[in-house]
Amino acid sequence: MKMWQKKGFVAIASLLLVLVLALAGCGGDKGNDSAGSGGASGGSGAGSASASGSPSGSAGAGQSEGAKKLEPYEVVMVYPDGKQKDLGLVQDAMNDYLKKTYPDLNMTVKLNPIDWSAYSDKVNLMISSGEKFDLLWTANWMNYETQVVKGALLPLDDLLDQYGQDIRAVEGDLLDGARRGGKLYGVHVHQELGNPQGIVLSKELVDKYHFDLSPLKSGEFKDLEPILQTIKEKEPNVTPAVGPAFPLNAYFSSGSMESIIGPVGLDQRDTNPADRYKVVDMYETPRYRELAELTHKWYKAGYINKDATTPGIDIFKKFQAKTAFASIGSDLEIVKDMAIGKPDRMANKSTQLGVELIQIPMNIDRLHTSKLSATLQAISRTSKDPARAMMLLDLFYKDKNLLTLFNYGIEGTHYVLKNGQVALPDGKTQDTVGFYHDIQWMLGNQMLNYTRVGEDPDKYKNYEQFNEIVKSQPSPLFGFVFDPEPVKNELIAVGKVQSTYDPGLQSGQLDPAVDLPKMIDKMKAAGIDKIIQEAQKQVDAWRAANGK
Amino acid sequence: MRSDNRTHPAIDLFFVMASLACLIPFWLILMVSMTGQNALTRYGYSFWPAQFDFVAYRFLLHDAEPILRSFGVSILVTAIGTFACLFVTSSLAFSLSRKEFPLRRFLSLYVLVTMLFGGGLLPWYLVYTKLLHVQNTLLALIIPGLLSGFNVFVMRTFFATSIPPSVVDSAQMDGAGDFRTYFSIVLPLSLPVLATIGLFSIVGYWNDWFTSLVFINNDKLYNLQYFLYNTLMNAQYLQSIADKAHIDAATLQVQPLEELRMAMAVIAVLPVALVFPFLQKYFVRGLTIGAVKG
Repeated sequence: MKMWQKKGFVAIASLLLVLVLALAGCGGDKGNDSAGSGGASGGSGAGSASASGSPSGSAGAGQSEGAKKLEPYEVVMVYPDGKQKDLGLVQDAMNDYLKKTYPDLNMTVKLNPIDWSAYSDKVNLMISSGEKFDLLWTANWMNYETQVVKGALLPLDDLLDQYGQDIRAVEGDLLDGARRGGKLYGVHVHQELGNPQGIVLSKELVDKYHFDLSPLKSGEFKDLEPILQTIKEKEPNVTPAVGPAFPLNAYFSSGSMESIIGPVGLDQRDTNPADRYKVVDMYETPRYRELAELTHKWYKAGYINKDATTPGIDIFKKFQAKTAFASIGSDLEIVKDMAIGKPDRMANKSTQLGVELIQIPMNIDRLHTSKLSATLQAISRTSKDPARAMMLLDLFYKDKNLLTLFNYGIEGTHYVLKNGQVALPDGKTQDTVGFYHDIQWMLGNQMLNYTRVGEDPDKYKNYEQFNEIVKSQPSPLFGFVFDPEPVKNELIAVGKVQSTYDPGLQSGQLDPAVDLPKMIDKMKAAGIDKIIQEAQKQVDAWRAANGK
Repeated sequence: MRSDNRTHPAIDLFFVMASLACLIPFWLILMVSMTGQNALTRYGYSFWPAQFDFVAYRFLLHDAEPILRSFGVSILVTAIGTFACLFVTSSLAFSLSRKEFPLRRFLSLYVLVTMLFGGGLLPWYLVYTKLLHVQNTLLALIIPGLLSGFNVFVMRTFFATSIPPSVVDSAQMDGAGDFRTYFSIVLPLSLPVLATIGLFSIVGYWNDWFTSLVFINNDKLYNLQYFLYNTLMNAQYLQSIADKAHIDAATLQVQPLEELRMAMAVIAVLPVALVFPFLQKYFVRGLTIGAVKG
């Protein structure tokens, strides 16, 4: 008994010790080869890189002869992405390519993708703990403003002038959307500059009843009513207008309302031109009342599904199950020659779902400051060689091969070219190919990208054309960024009121005649007028400063 | 006399309702996980699906490797973590329960302080990554759950009140040292409280996804809960991205199936649900035994 006990104790203790050591050992190995464990890898290159890394203008990207030779440097790229089995292969291929094509830059990349679910938290921790990384994907909906305020990002103006000629050539003035306090902290990805919003219809039913879609050229949702009525009467199993996609949202979240903060903004469609800078509350505009009443009427008539505000409803699955006729207020695809009220085939969704869909734009976004900071590449304060990071970023705006490696992987292994479009190699699926993602919108010049088989080969030409439409109607507040600090408490209070009433009004479940005034009263109590005043004050100051 | 022993029907009813309220959601999850996708879009959730379909489970088995691996990680971490946790917690609690231990007051206060104040996320992160360098190892998943002040106090109270001091005294009189007393006398007498704390620990380790989120970058070391959380959150993000980043609606990807999520939930819940009944009898005893002595 005694012996057994003693042995038992020693056995348990040594077992624990062995386990702990084993775990530490194997874990350590993994820690090294997996992404971004900071400290160690940054340390070795740090001293040498920072010494040579702030080249005084002489070691620019293109100028090789006579320039000071650059020390080797590893640029760590942080961006959100799911798991890619062959990430290492692609990274090696990128490094081989960089070495072969740009030996003077003497740099390698390290791809450090972070899962979407953890991106915001992890980046925060990396910044706060001073971990070394270089290029960071960020956005105004992904803490860009906080990162700027915290000082986590480097101002880029000088770096851009020195090493970012190609970026400037491609993006030009559009870069200014990410300017904060007069300095540029992020480089906008060259991409489509907004969305069209409008109506999606099932082609099968449109053909069956020979609907005339030309009245929709007016851009008014109410002209859809007779069509919805027909469907309601003749197709009992079909929801005429399926939510969550509503006229109110399509109207007020798009170019028709220049949003400043929350429900406060500039009305762009209904105000007289002399008064374009008057800040208003969208809930108090006649247009809101009108659209809310229209939606409520449709809801009462049974045109809109009753579960429209339940989270997790997938509109397009309902199209697929053939229980939906229209979705009013969805984001649409960008196609050739878009115009308000002009029906087109919704090509990608149709192929994806196996159901033919028609899309009709009712709104096209304006060129808005917030859109130009909706996807950015920034350089971290912890970068040991910001110049080199900027050189790499510049390559993504001019070098199609490098960008293609990042977006589609290695030719022959992860994709093959068919008629100039990217396709999966034979016998491979998205899951088995080892490297497949659609994050073209996170990096570089999208117009350099290939299209995938099944997409419109002219996709990027269409984008350029669409961008012209968007640019032709710039926001009156282009370059203005609202500082919410003085009205922080009011914004929270107003947000609460908003979340109580807004979904009900949007989906037509609340009667605007009763509930809209109630909501406006509560908002006034919550301090909406103070927000409007503050916004007006900031807009006026901005106008005075910028001579608008 | 007899009627006094019988429970009032209203109380019965109350508990039946309460149990149903707990069971029905599980039933619904189970059923949704077995509903065909078409039936799901047509009729929504139902307690008895119009059409059974095990496509979600088949899909999980087909691409089983990541799930099985994360399962393995969870089981390993839970098993090692729970044993280590019991060892560390009980040894500290034992020391604190010994009246002759000189640092008793100070250490008790120290443990109490950790219950009341936390260090915050950033210091926590810094200690694990910069001081201990355990990021991307299983240790990072195990260490945070090892010691909780609450558990220490529950155990200390148990040791102090439920183990007769005379037993300990007689052992020591027979020449047993502190280690011998601890291993041969105290631990065998403490099964109820060990089972209770063990169960807390199992549930804690099994359900923990946040530690993975913070410390693990290597997807081979994701535990089950984080794997599921990750799948779900990635899908949600992909859904909302087009809107936020103002990108073309055409690039939107199709989100994973609803029934797949439910199937994952079933898989995640099952092991803990299976362990619970075996430990339950200790669970009740362990918590009450420290309170009142009969």
